[in-house]
Amino acid sequence: MGWLRRLFFRERLEADLDKELRFHFEFQVADKVRSGISESEARRLTRIEFGGIEQIKEDCRERRGTMWLESLLQDVRYALRRLRKAPGFTLTAVLTLALGIGATTAIFTLVQQVMLRSLPVSRPDQLWRVGDSDHCCYSNGYTQGGGRFQPENHWNFFSWEAYKQLRANTPAFENLAAFQPGQYNAYLAVRPAGSSTAVEMRNGEYVSGNFFKTFGISAWRGRLFTDADDREGAPPVAVMSFRVWREKYGSDASVAGKTYEINGHPFTIVGVARPGFFGAKIDSGGNMPDFWLPLTTEPLIASTTSRLKNPRLAWLDLIGRVRRQTNPQNLETELNVELHQWLESHASDMNPQEKALLPKQTLRLTPGGAGVSLMREEYADGLLLLLLAAACVLLVACANVANLMLARGLKDRRQTGIRVTLGAPRSRLVRKALIESLLLALIGGGAGIPVAYAGARLILRLAFAGPDTLDTWAPVNASPSAPMLLFALAISVVAGLIFGLAPAWMTSHADPIEAIRGTRGTEGGNRGDFGSAWAQKMLVILQTAISLVLVSAAAMLGQSLRNLGQQNFGFDSDGKYLVTIDPKISNYKPEQLVPLFREIEGPLRRIPGVQGVGSILAAPLTSWVWQHDIRVAGKPEPGPQDSVSSGWTRVTPGFFATLGDRMVMGRPITDEDTTSTRPIAVVNHAFARKFFAGENPIGQHFGPVPPKNAGMYEIVGVVSDVDFADGVRPMYFLPEAQSTYLLDTESEERELQSHYLGSVLLSAPANPADLQTQVKKTLANTAPDLVLNSIQPYREVVHANFAQQRMIASLTWLFGAAGLVLAAVGLYGVTAYGVEQRTSEIGVRMALGADRNSVIALVLRGAFWQVGIGLGIGIPAAIGAGYLMASQLFGVTPWNPVLLACATVLLGLAALCAAVIPARRAATIDPMQALRSE
Amino acid sequence: MTKTDDRFDLPQGTLDLLIMRVVALGPIHGYAIAQRIQQISRDALQVQQGSLYPALHRLEYKKFLSSRWKPSETGREAKFYELTSKGRTHLKVETENWTRLTDVVSLILEGTLEGI
Repeated sequence: MGWLRRLFFRERLEADLDKELRFHFEFQVADKVRSGISESEARRLTRIEFGGIEQIKEDCRERRGTMWLESLLQDVRYALRRLRKAPGFTLTAVLTLALGIGATTAIFTLVQQVMLRSLPVSRPDQLWRVGDSDHCCYSNGYTQGGGRFQPENHWNFFSWEAYKQLRANTPAFENLAAFQPGQYNAYLAVRPAGSSTAVEMRNGEYVSGNFFKTFGISAWRGRLFTDADDREGAPPVAVMSFRVWREKYGSDASVAGKTYEINGHPFTIVGVARPGFFGAKIDSGGNMPDFWLPLTTEPLIASTTSRLKNPRLAWLDLIGRVRRQTNPQNLETELNVELHQWLESHASDMNPQEKALLPKQTLRLTPGGAGVSLMREEYADGLLLLLLAAACVLLVACANVANLMLARGLKDRRQTGIRVTLGAPRSRLVRKALIESLLLALIGGGAGIPVAYAGARLILRLAFAGPDTLDTWAPVNASPSAPMLLFALAISVVAGLIFGLAPAWMTSHADPIEAIRGTRGTEGGNRGDFGSAWAQKMLVILQTAISLVLVSAAAMLGQSLRNLGQQNFGFDSDGKYLVTIDPKISNYKPEQLVPLFREIEGPLRRIPGVQGVGSILAAPLTSWVWQHDIRVAGKPEPGPQDSVSSGWTRVTPGFFATLGDRMVMGRPITDEDTTSTRPIAVVNHAFARKFFAGENPIGQHFGPVPPKNAGMYEIVGVVSDVDFADGVRPMYFLPEAQSTYLLDTESEERELQSHYLGSVLLSAPANPADLQTQVKKTLANTAPDLVLNSIQPYREVVHANFAQQRMIASLTWLFGAAGLVLAAVGLYGVTAYGVEQRTSEIGVRMALGADRNSVIALVLRGAFWQVGIGLGIGIPAAIGAGYLMASQLFGVTPWNPVLLACATVLLGLAALCAAVIPARRAATIDPMQALRSE
Repeated sequence: MTKTDDRFDLPQGTLDLLIMRVVALGPIHGYAIAQRIQQISRDALQVQQGSLYPALHRLEYKKFLSSRWKPSETGREAKFYELTSKGRTHLKVETENWTRLTDVVSLILEGTLEGI
């Protein structure tokens, strides 16, 4: 009989045991009767001989080998009974724990999905990535790395040519796939072929023909493409993601084989990828692909700005599936040799700097099972910070529950004492106490799961609310998953052990003598009392310290967020509206662009309430900025260490006035600057300072490298500095209506592309209510083919940049507030309990002449002694925490006495409130009654 | 539970051996085991219920004994114990051990003290 069976047939075993012993008993009685003793006397004698029948049974049960489990179940049942009997206590403890465990689990859900998860593909452990940074998006030239995110000279992106060479020469890869890593996937304008319905915006990612094979992805409908589809000249095909197929195409079963018009070109949809597969990169804010296109279709979509054939342009991420028993280290060495072979073959195209750095170029092979996660890059620090904060709240919650348990343990002191006296082993008592805490923690954890779900959803809404009205789906999910449930379970057990240890320790030190004597412990009168009072005070000190850290962290993050929102970007986003358009995918030809902007800006300006209209390639704080190395006419060739880079963009004449960008010198761009006049540029103040320190820049000439372009643009004006992205940098602005020919093909491509302005800025200070409809109507009338992405108040767009910081700051505030309240409740509990314990002492004091105020002072002194020590520990800890999260702070120094003082005062006030209530109660003690109760 | 001078405590583990020896004679219930041991030892050993039943249950748990319910000589159902093959082997080994141990012990205890 297995122990499990023994356990389940417990009832029968018990009955059998009883029957067996009864048989023995009756037989013995019968024997005695037979020897001439009267039946009643025989029974009496037998009963004496038998001794304690229950003791025998207990011994038998113990021999049976299921005793430990049976007694465990007994303890669990007993603990449940006890919890049911004290609903107030149980409810308080469960709620406190549900909050703590729920908050921690909510953050963990996101940490797990953003940072720990593997791609939903087969055998992710066999996938290796060529590259070691998740940073985005592409690199230009024969050197890579450097900057904030990538180590110097480390290769992460590869050109099509380099990819093909690595793929052909690395047999250790069963398959090596390439895919577009960028945040800036191809924007696709899609509609069924031959239809005249409005195009819909979709996100497209270029991938190599073996992409699906490498990741082991199967088709849900139709087929996925292969290398045969990724050949130049092959008919254009595309694969749809399951999500977009279901959500946007109504799960159309006949979609495979249908032809869709993508940016004006017919593409055959060959199939739908299986559910759950979202690609090999993880990104937030609507950058997940809806369509996958073969790499070779890129020139079709990108036309003049195609990157496919340019060996200098590295824009592909590589992940490969290695063969069994491949040594990654050897593979890395091999790949490095191949990289150098490929680089050597381009030595003739390299500029001197690139040639000099050539020997230093290197690549790293890293595990690729998690894919390329831009989200990990973006959110890792913030999520870890939140996880720590949530853990702190949980710790404070545990301290509170421990306090409650200690108080309860004291109340049950007599009972425990009696148990010890009656011979209960201490180990069993400790186990009983621990089981009760674990049970409580598990119930709290169960209640915490809905809290975690709601919390994770809230965070997702706060953090991933992108600025676009485009679909902002991110592959992160708040619903409970196996790892999340396991985490909740684990953390519940840990929490139960943490807050259960103190009461268990107390129990194991219960003094039976004291308990039996029944003295109502007065002021450290007995050991258990003293121990628990000490433990309770320690807990309050701990809570105070942790809460101070939380509140001070919240204060710093809040201040940082305020600084971010109020920083001087050089313009005021209030009363302005951003219209995002895409003339590129609307298939406008370069020569149609100048008329297009003239045609739309005029009517937009005539909308009532609109004061100004101007267009720009990408509005400040909405995108990245193109950089060019420049040369200034008449200046010596700069040294290799000199920075000669400047950002640049293209605008229509009304832009500066609309944004409120002040002219510092000279004139703005006007309608008179056209192809028939000389090429001009307006530069910003930072540009003037960098390249013309102490000189008058007006009338000077400069141009993008090579040096012979130095006379290309004449500077006609200087505007005040505006923050375009990550601070003020040198910038120059070119007129939409002018273009110059650049010899370098890549620069020429950008020159062409830069005319496709994507942002139309409107200034309407009165914020007219129907502006959005008016704009939509005007655009539909003047340019019906123009793809309109969104119309939004500019202020919202700018603030969406801080969505993550706002989420972190608000959650930290929430955690700080929770910690504060819990700590205050804890202090209240301990102080109130202390007052109750000292009732008679206070009575004596009052009888001897102490007045109310001195009694209040007595109680407050006790409370503030603990709070004081807590603050003493908390202040250095808060400063330390400030330094730890320095990278998350903007314009706030980690050592911040003002914020720290505010947090300390706040905590002190909360403590005062918590301590005053019991202190006042102490002052109302009636001395006579207190003494009589002794 | 009266204690007489001619009764003594059994060394640890010996009771198991005695029980198995008695059960080896054929299926038998608890009361009879106690009676039999008392008889064979000529009343020198009186096995208490408090030791007998836990020992029986332990031996059953260790699969040295098996048990089933069947009518006893009085007609009432009783739990009869039987030696399993595992129990039989164990009894053999333990009996040999015991014999060897007692031989050695008596050899020493009964030896002459002249050599010392």
